[in-house]
Amino acid sequence: MLFDSFQFLFFFLAVTTLYFVLPFRVRWFLLLISSCYFYMAFVPIYILILIFTIIIDYFAGIFIEGASGAKRKFFLICSLVANIGVLSFFKYYNFLSQNLNFLFHSFGLTTSVPYLQILLPIGLSFHTFQAMSYTIEVYRGHEAAEKNFGIYSLYVMFYPQLVAGPIERPQNLLHQFRTKYPFDYDRIADGLKMILWGFFKKIVIADRLAIYVNATYNHPQEHTGLTLTLATFFFAFQIYCDFSGYSDIAIGSAKVMGFKLMTNFNRPYFAKNISEFWKRWHISLSTWFRDYLYISLGGNRVAVPRWYFNLFIVFLISGLWHGANWTYVLWGAINGFYLVFAIITHQLRSKLDKLTGLNKNPKLHKAFNIIITFLLSCFAWIFFRANNIDDAFLIIKKVFTFKGPLFIQNPSMVIYSFTGIFILLFVDMKKEYYKGSFSFFNHQNWWVRNLSYATLVIIILLMGVFDGGQFIYFQF
Amino acid sequence: MFMITPENKTTNDVLKFFLKLLLLLVMIKAIDMAIGSVLRHFYFRQSSGLEYRTTYSMEKTTADLIVLGSSRANHHYPPDVFEKKLNLSFYNAGRDGEHIFYHYAVLKSMLKRYTPKVVLLDFNNAELIQGKEKYDRISSLLPYYKTHEEIRTLIELKSPYEKLKLFSSIYPFNSDLFTIAIGNTEANKNRDPDFKGYVPLSRKWKEAIQQNNGAGNTAIDTVQVNIYKAFINDCLSRKIKLYVICSPYFIQFTNVDSSLIIAKNIAAQNHVPFLDYSGDTSFTKHPELFDDPSHLNADGAKIFANKLADEINKSEK
Repeated sequence: MLFDSFQFLFFFLAVTTLYFVLPFRVRWFLLLISSCYFYMAFVPIYILILIFTIIIDYFAGIFIEGASGAKRKFFLICSLVANIGVLSFFKYYNFLSQNLNFLFHSFGLTTSVPYLQILLPIGLSFHTFQAMSYTIEVYRGHEAAEKNFGIYSLYVMFYPQLVAGPIERPQNLLHQFRTKYPFDYDRIADGLKMILWGFFKKIVIADRLAIYVNATYNHPQEHTGLTLTLATFFFAFQIYCDFSGYSDIAIGSAKVMGFKLMTNFNRPYFAKNISEFWKRWHISLSTWFRDYLYISLGGNRVAVPRWYFNLFIVFLISGLWHGANWTYVLWGAINGFYLVFAIITHQLRSKLDKLTGLNKNPKLHKAFNIIITFLLSCFAWIFFRANNIDDAFLIIKKVFTFKGPLFIQNPSMVIYSFTGIFILLFVDMKKEYYKGSFSFFNHQNWWVRNLSYATLVIIILLMGVFDGGQFIYFQF
Repeated sequence: MFMITPENKTTNDVLKFFLKLLLLLVMIKAIDMAIGSVLRHFYFRQSSGLEYRTTYSMEKTTADLIVLGSSRANHHYPPDVFEKKLNLSFYNAGRDGEHIFYHYAVLKSMLKRYTPKVVLLDFNNAELIQGKEKYDRISSLLPYYKTHEEIRTLIELKSPYEKLKLFSSIYPFNSDLFTIAIGNTEANKNRDPDFKGYVPLSRKWKEAIQQNNGAGNTAIDTVQVNIYKAFINDCLSRKIKLYVICSPYFIQFTNVDSSLIIAKNIAAQNHVPFLDYSGDTSFTKHPELFDDPSHLNADGAKIFANKLADEINKSEK
């Protein structure tokens, strides 16, 4: 069930109403059943995979808590192997077989690894990581093992964040299922506003930009450098609005019922360097990798070369987490390289700032850093969006020649795209730099506030992409 | 509702929430109706472009000969040839990117007003193959939902929630703001001119003929098949002379398209002529007659129209 569907709208209304009407003691059960239904709306049979890992992790948590020494570690390893095993099989098996077969073929071997017709279960990477954070936290002694199987299942399956995060930690979420949240006007209104803003980002901006991006990135050989540059710029906003829009809807849906999920995006394109970008982008994943991988590898409390290696490997794995394709691996590698390079050149860049006088003008310096960081992230996005490595390099080659006419099949399409980006930047800039100043959306006057939200709904109706019909003519 | 919790704050919050939500919804509906009415007014005031031609086809034309179909219909059937050779008044109601849903909707609206003498339905390769995008394209009929009762069932095929979406007055004009604006200003003079609906293409194709083995999705959509059948039945019941035509391509189809076979069989069962020019060598050997592999240019369209008009004349005799 997709968030931007009428099916979800009815589901959300029904579940939320029932949630407040039912007695507190059965609310968790309602949420569990609803989450099962939500998940099964995609591919019903795949719920068995989820149940399998839930059972393993539930007992692993209890066993870890009850054990000590090597046994404790053994149970943690069992849980991690089960989770990573399921993830590897469904997400990476065919990628591995494809690459092994390529290698065998290159060496003239006739051996081949079979290709399996398997479909990736929806949100597998998200709920697997959330489940792993539970057993790791129990192992570290930061969280008590959950004894109620239903509550633990709900922790893994809570529908707002089940398929696309935020990837929660047990310390934040588990206890909330035992907290009674009353019907609170302000909280519910805030949650609904978040959902509306998420819909705006997804339907008005992301889906609109996707039309141009898909038309050009799916046929890069037919498009000019200028067109592909614009498409890359559009993709940067498409991926941001798509993902953060989804997160807003998830966080807002949970908030309506009283649950506080972690912030997942914090206006990443205002970051002044790549390190800051990753503190603002997909925060729940970045912190997951920091807490469970980077620190486990020694973090920065190791020799300098090892520190660089830790950073690089974390981003390489992060790339692979996003998808079983070399494009994602390269995207991760580029981001890892950016970070290592930033550390190595830190002093040199400070000297350059002094030399050019940039450091004397903090506003200009900040703007310069924001633009450079944005451009660097755009370059990395080319690998993220390109259909394959060859396409990615072709796009880069064309982008750097920056030649040729701009592909504009339908001018109104481009006008809608820029209008959406402008509204987004206006709102984000306001939140980032002018927090205390005049606000339409949080104005004290109810009429001004609600007229602003009504306008947002009207813009969605006017400019939102409600079907893929508009794709067709772009492809010609 | 008040059983939610006995605390007064909660009760007050529930009342406050629903009251304010109601006010907000009323506000949204009022703005929606106001903007929707303005958009509707200006949509139907356009005097050029695709949308104008759809309105003209559905609400005004009384031509004897009507051409229906997608872009290939729109760019392949020039009026002068048919008017001269068949001695019939002519209108080309083909529209870019459309499918059988649109063709049938336009026909139904026409039949509500009058009965044309001849209908030429241009049939595309893979016309009856399944595809979500074909249903998405029904969106071009949304502005007519309110005033054209006869096509409502066709529009409702778009999605199970279409009726609900159409509760909004703006939704039928979604993504149409700038098109409507252009159609109502001087900018509409810059649009490609049409000649009784026909829009000629001017490029000359220079590349070698493309091969198409029909790979990909080949599943037939029974809904579209039924609409095609209904199209034929409606024409026959009103004694309209119907011709289904597959106009020329600059593509070599190595496998016969399954939807073409089905369409031909249905046409044959109903004694409707199906004229297939998709492999006609007088076109497939002449790239200069095409604008792109799927569309004839004005020169190609003229040759094709002459050939087709002669064929129609011959069959009439």
